[in-house]
Amino acid sequence: MDQTGTLLGTYGLTDGRDRLLSADAPLAELQERCGGDLPGTLAIPELLALVQQARRMGLRIARSFSAYDGDAEVSAFARIHPLGPDDGGGCEVLVENWQRNPLIPPSAREFADRIDAIDRATAEVSARLDAGQRLQVVSARARDAAFLEAAPLGSLWSELVDLQDITHHQPLHWRLLDGASCRLAGSARDWRVRLIPIGPDPQSPAGFELLLIADAPLAEGGQTDNDQAEVPIDASPARLVGTALTPVLRQPVARIIANAETMRARLAGPLREEYSEYAGTIASAGQHLAAMLDDLADLEVVETPGFSTAKEPVDLADAATRAAGILGVRAQNRETILAVEGARGETIATAEFRRVLQILINLVGNAIAYAPAASTVTISAVPASDGRVAVTVADEGPGVAPEQAERIFDKFERLGRDSDGGKDKGSGLGLYISRRLAEAMGGTLTVGPAPGGGALFRLELPAA
Amino acid sequence: MGEETMDLAADATVEVTLRGGLAREGRALASVVPVLRHLLGAQTQGLVSEAILARVRGMVFDCAAQLLAAKGGRDPSARDPDALDALAEGLMADEALLAHCHALAAEGLIAERLMQRHAVDPVLSPLLQELIAAEDPAVASLAMATLAAQSRFVQSQRRMELPLGELPAELFHALTARIADAGAATAGLQAAYDEGASRVGLMARLVGSMRRGALAALGIEHAGLALFATALANATRSARTDAVLSCHEGQSLRLALLLRAAGLMPAAIGRQLLLSDPAARLPEAIGALSAERAAALLAAERPAR
Repeated sequence: MDQTGTLLGTYGLTDGRDRLLSADAPLAELQERCGGDLPGTLAIPELLALVQQARRMGLRIARSFSAYDGDAEVSAFARIHPLGPDDGGGCEVLVENWQRNPLIPPSAREFADRIDAIDRATAEVSARLDAGQRLQVVSARARDAAFLEAAPLGSLWSELVDLQDITHHQPLHWRLLDGASCRLAGSARDWRVRLIPIGPDPQSPAGFELLLIADAPLAEGGQTDNDQAEVPIDASPARLVGTALTPVLRQPVARIIANAETMRARLAGPLREEYSEYAGTIASAGQHLAAMLDDLADLEVVETPGFSTAKEPVDLADAATRAAGILGVRAQNRETILAVEGARGETIATAEFRRVLQILINLVGNAIAYAPAASTVTISAVPASDGRVAVTVADEGPGVAPEQAERIFDKFERLGRDSDGGKDKGSGLGLYISRRLAEAMGGTLTVGPAPGGGALFRLELPAA
Repeated sequence: MGEETMDLAADATVEVTLRGGLAREGRALASVVPVLRHLLGAQTQGLVSEAILARVRGMVFDCAAQLLAAKGGRDPSARDPDALDALAEGLMADEALLAHCHALAAEGLIAERLMQRHAVDPVLSPLLQELIAAEDPAVASLAMATLAAQSRFVQSQRRMELPLGELPAELFHALTARIADAGAATAGLQAAYDEGASRVGLMARLVGSMRRGALAALGIEHAGLALFATALANATRSARTDAVLSCHEGQSLRLALLLRAAGLMPAAIGRQLLLSDPAARLPEAIGALSAERAAALLAAERPAR
């Protein structure tokens, strides 16, 4: 990753359906804090609107946006560059000038009013009760609560639901019931009860507003997101890093990086040159750690017993073009030319598109990083023998010696790059993961000399 | 006989046409006096003045000419004055474009007046100078680019021109859609467009990069009108055009409220008002108004316009 590029800007990439495919730490953190996944649909509302606008108009736009990350208001300036359909049809998003302003906590009364407003907006059952908590009118929007509308008026509301953790006989004082949880016959969801008194005197209310708020939206006929369906969530205890460690560590690591970058850029005030450099080292070490966490999570997935991939036709020329598009900016930073060879529709493999793209991004990313600046990286999709097709990535770097050719795919193998003063951010896992992925798809990943010197990585997959 | 009836029928149609035309001309004549009264009554610095009209007309024609040039390429037959008039007439029906051009023209004229009365440099303000000398090379180069863009803006205002690339993305999109039949030309224009490299985009990025220091840009004499307007719009989450127009004479209450919403104290607001509109009086009540209330007042008024 180019250091100057991350000084003030955070880079992200979306696809044609506004899903955030990859993002640098601060953007990834905000996406998660806004309730989104990575990869997943962009969850930062104002940024999503900007990305959609840029995509619709096909124009590069530059606007400021703000979002609430749970603790503070984040505002930043986004430059959005829509990509052509050949490059995935999404957008490159460059976010500059992050600012976090802690919100002044509203007064208790304002806060309570706001909570009431949110609950009113999200309640799927709302009713009006008289002073004795008996139903006067009820309306239910959710299918699994529709039976409440048939309840006889004048009945005690608490007899219609199954209140949890409340053992006293009803009716109780409303303050004890406000905020209680309950279950409804015929609904699989947990519901929260809100009782809001009506009338000028909360000590002796003239009636109540009853709201039932479900803890989750109603599932639509048990369907799940298409992308998630391919990978069943594996909660086996073996996946410690991916399911337990990565989510917990991502935020503190992101904070270390962000603060170190702030110091390095002297945004918090003047600082001596050496200290600024130390901060730069901390930031790049943090980025290494973050990348390492992602790789370890991937490693766990490929090493899980029974790991399998989907089988779908994958156009290797198309995958190569997309990989080149995604890494275009990184290549530009090193003035590397990415040349894609092979016509679409001629090399179709049976594999999983996502995984093929992951392998190609790894191979091309390595080629950009380790070949000399201003050289050419060639990605070709070619037919191979025995009903197989292949895609190759050739660089003009120093190449890989024959005795290294097998070791390079070993776990944590970095071929002497550890001495690089911490600048190199590889975990030594990328090629190992790539090979495991290739094998899981019934293919092979090998390395040999490229025609013009340099290394040539070859991914072979069964043809469709 | 037959001839005569035909003549009668023709006469009837002709009369209808004539009557319609006459009514149109009559309306045009009738509107002369009110418009004239407005133009004469308003001082030279009115919200609508001959200077503004001329600039808006010039900018719209310039946009039309650029669109035609992009469409026709080097083909001289595309430089058809009739086509230019027709396209410009169509553009003048676009209210968003007119509002944008009006704000630009007003910005140019206000900046000119500020220079004459208070020696506020319309191009290189003290703040911009400081930013160009900033230690952070990214900020310094952004400030240099902003300086270049601002000087191009002042020049193009004098020439009553408006490069298409300076339009906000929505307007640019709407304008290029008018020549959508020239596919390649439109695609070329769109590919060259980058809002972040336009003057307003650069200013927004520069103000963003100042972070909390952006408060320093809330002084016209220090930041210059252009950066001041961007910083004010940024601090109050309002449109930049609103911020520009609030600096117009006779809009001082709006300016005072915007500055209050941005968190300025009454004394500082008074100093800004003195620059923008010497005749203005700072309302006493402004000191008692919280920033949130000022923002709410402005927000409540906005949909009415």
